[in-house]
Formats: sequence, C-alpha cells, structure tokens
Amino acid sequence: MFERFTKAAKDLVRGAAERAERAGDPYVTTEHLLRQLLSASGTPGAAALAAAGIDSEERRGAVERDLNEARRRGGLTKSDAEALAGIGIDVAEVVDRVESAHGRGALARPRAWRRSRGRFDAEAKTVLERSLRVTLGRGDKAIGDEHILLALAAGPGIPAEVLADHGATYAAVEAALPAVQRAG
Amino acid sequence: MSDATELAERAGGADPREGLRAVAALRRLLEQLEAVQVRSARQQGWSWQEVAAELGVSRQAVHKKHGRR
Repeated sequence: MFERFTKAAKDLVRGAAERAERAGDPYVTTEHLLRQLLSASGTPGAAALAAAGIDSEERRGAVERDLNEARRRGGLTKSDAEALAGIGIDVAEVVDRVESAHGRGALARPRAWRRSRGRFDAEAKTVLERSLRVTLGRGDKAIGDEHILLALAAGPGIPAEVLADHGATYAAVEAALPAVQRAG
Repeated sequence: MSDATELAERAGGADPREGLRAVAALRRLLEQLEAVQVRSARQQGWSWQEVAAELGVSRQAVHKKHGRR
C-alpha cells in the first residue's frame, strides 16, 4: 500500500512514526498522524485542513490542546465522558484523583495492553486502510495526505472528534478536497 | 435514529444506545485505571502474583497483559 502513497502522504506517515519514537510511545497512533498533519505545510492535506477552518497557528494550537486534554483523560473522547456522566461517573474528577495520587498525566501513558503487530496500532492501521478505500472511492490514483485526513475525520475516535469540534468534520474536509486537489 | 431506539423511547424505557456507550466508555476507563494501578504496584515492588490476587485474575493473565513494561 505504501507504494501508492504520494510524497506528502509518505512524509506524513514517516513524520508520525518519528513523533511516536521521540515520545517513546510503543505504537504510532491516529493522534500522531493528526499532530503530524497539523505541522505540515504546502501539502494538499494541510490545504484541506485550512479550508475546513483550521487555518491559523492559533487554531492549530487549539486542536493540539484538545488532543492533549483527550490524552490526559486516558484517551477517552468527550462523548465517552458524556456517556459516563450519564451513569454518574465524573471523568474529570477521576482524572484529578488519579493524577493527585500518581502524578500529572498518569492516565496519559499509552496503554500497555494495546498489542499490535508492527509499528502502527490497530486504529492507525484502520485509518491507513481507510485512506486507500477513500482514494479508490473518489477515483483518485494515489493516496495523498488529504486522503489520510479524510480517513481520520471519518472516525470514530479522538482525532475525528477533535477535528469536528473545530469545524473540520468529514463533510467539511470532503467539500474542501476538489479545490485542494486542483491546486496540488 | 434507529426504529429500536425510537421504540424504546416511546415505551419510556432508557435508551439502550446511551447505556451501551456508557459501558464501552467505562471499559476504556477501566483499562487505563488498571494500567496505572498495575504500574504503580510493580514500581512499589509488588510481585505479579500479588497484583493478580488483588485483581482477582491469574498471574499468567496479568503478566501477559502488563508484562514487559
């Protein structure tokens, strides 16, 4: 599949893997992919993000902060937290208590049980596979970083939720693609 | 919204979707909490046997899940 990636997509995947390695994380996750995408410039994926509303340092910073918050919640999405509130569990309270006993970011450590073959965790593999399907579905020839963005936005999971919170829903990203691809 | 959900709401029952989402989220939270507590116990010198006994699972199960980290 990798040979069908454009240069931008290859750079994105490599950059995400380097990010994981620098952080000492056992696997490359969808979060690494999105963070790497946020730092890209001049690629169709970066242009699609901007067209969907994440178009300034400030907005990109806000997305990063939301990713940090989700990580601090142990990777629970806001809808997870809402579902738990529905049965009387206050996730913020749980995070506070765990952090006061075990240190800030205690729940943010990667899950030890997340076993997967290779460097990518199961969700990241799903996103990369979906990027291929998205590419074929659109009749495009190569998998670009814009297709990986679309695959991330398709969800489920934290990147999709955070992107949508900042206006970059699947529909918004998809709507941005024709112009972005013409320009690229 | 699915027909089943609408039916449940019309019947005045709780929405199964909400309940199932809560269970799935609770499972994710549980896994994170387990990882934190096991790591902490191991750092304090607990054996896998002691950790397993508190969790109510076999030593093999807990080692397979949390070992090598």
